[in-house]
Amino acid sequence: MLEITDLYAGYGQIEAVRGLSLSVDPGRVTLLLGANGAGKSTTLRTVAGLHPPTSGTVVLNGVDVTGQPAHKMVRHGVSLVPEGRRVLAPMTVLENLRLGAYTADKAAYARTLAEVNAMFPILADRSNGAAGLLSGGEQQMLAFGRALMSQPKIMLLDEPSMGLAPAVTDRILANVRTMANSGIGILMVEQNAEAGLEVADHVIAVARGEVVFAGPAEAARANASVLRAFLGEAALAGESGA
Amino acid sequence: MSDFYAANLVLIQSTFIGILLALSVQVPMRAGVFSFAGAGSYGIGAYVSAILVLKTGMPSLLAILISGIVAMVVGLLLGLLVAHLGGLYLAMATVSFDLIVSVLAINGGDLTGGVTGLFGVLSDVTIFHLIGLALLGIVGVALTERGRVGRRVDAVRDDPELAQSVGISVRRYRLAAFVVSGLLGSVAGSLNSLVRSTISPSDIGFSLIVLALTMIIVGGAQSWKGAVLGAVIFTWLPPLLAGFGQLQHVVYGVIVATAAIFVPGGLYGIYSEARYRRTRAKRKPPQGEAPAHEQALAISVPNGDAGRSA
Repeated sequence: MLEITDLYAGYGQIEAVRGLSLSVDPGRVTLLLGANGAGKSTTLRTVAGLHPPTSGTVVLNGVDVTGQPAHKMVRHGVSLVPEGRRVLAPMTVLENLRLGAYTADKAAYARTLAEVNAMFPILADRSNGAAGLLSGGEQQMLAFGRALMSQPKIMLLDEPSMGLAPAVTDRILANVRTMANSGIGILMVEQNAEAGLEVADHVIAVARGEVVFAGPAEAARANASVLRAFLGEAALAGESGA
Repeated sequence: MSDFYAANLVLIQSTFIGILLALSVQVPMRAGVFSFAGAGSYGIGAYVSAILVLKTGMPSLLAILISGIVAMVVGLLLGLLVAHLGGLYLAMATVSFDLIVSVLAINGGDLTGGVTGLFGVLSDVTIFHLIGLALLGIVGVALTERGRVGRRVDAVRDDPELAQSVGISVRRYRLAAFVVSGLLGSVAGSLNSLVRSTISPSDIGFSLIVLALTMIIVGGAQSWKGAVLGAVIFTWLPPLLAGFGQLQHVVYGVIVATAAIFVPGGLYGIYSEARYRRTRAKRKPPQGEAPAHEQALAISVPNGDAGRSA
């Protein structure tokens, strides 16, 4: 499991994340909610090693991995699916998946690929087509598949529904649940709070870099009106702080 | 030997040297590293080889090898020094490196021959050495553009963060680009002074940077083919333009400016983009498994990697 304790991170004088603590358990989806500029993406990027933490610790299955560079975090079993999918458009679907297997055990490559193709049959169908020709939802599945190819223990999903139609969003979030059910711990940032709550087990809400709500998803769902009020309030406040 | 070969020997030799010089700039460019250090490595190779052959009389290939190792080490150190720089700042830092090399050549006293340079570098380099080393350079670079390594380099250039997120050490690839560029530039410079038997600071100054950059801008930085194309064009163009008399520099300038403005991916970029459009046109529309509104939201495909690398 992944344990983040009292994490601080920022850009120059601006502190984007202030004393954030949370944990991600295997097989469970932890949803990180908050308005624009609340520090959600910075949290994911810091855990993934793309951004240096100012202080705090990131511990993965008892091993302190704080501040490790991104290419090493993958080897520790933490895989980031960045915002906006970011597939390598001119490459084929299979080539994108192979890139995801960069750190993975060669012997397990064929089996992992088969698992990914079983979870996302469209990727097998389009195997030799250019990734840039996939639809938005298909590209998101490819981004998931690419992350799965590294056989992660923890996946960090940054806005998986961004730019997708509601029907596609539901399908993508159902995929998130499936991936968690295979035993992977998931930390997800999602703007679409209502859709995100449908698949989440645990919810952390942040405003201006600090945790303002933490609890099981049922509690957050029961509190949906409160949560929405908070998100609305934070969104207004966030405009000056972002 | 044919008349053509005899009449154009200097240009033919320059073509192979130019190819290696162009590759020394194309390799880092393709990895997304805006480094012109290849020109400085050319200077290192040219002088180190000339000095080694003059002082010790060692065989040419050994001198080329030693100069190559020196330039690779310098390239690695330079890469470490400018590791945190990107874009324009990196370009400026590497141009400074090139100029430092030429300043060292001018102020090197007896060792470098000062402003007049070194003469009488007698060597056993033949046209077959030139062809062989240029081919070796081309094949080596071409191999890094294919398969697994090629895809990783593409990822490092197109999306460094994503490359890191799949476990690729972007830093290591960038350093490798500096080292390879150092080797290629150095071999080009070594061959130049050994073939011409002379080297002076004017051969490695700012005009060399401009020449190397011109070859890559017009040829295209995405592939070794662009580098070869650019090297051939800009070796043979100046003598062909001689017919324009005093206007030849103007015509040369217009050609370069036109290419830079209207063909940002270079001549090779035109070809690869046409091929990309053809495959895209061939592909059938998806058969209804994705709703139409989702199709409309699909991320648009950037125009190959034209423009990004130039």
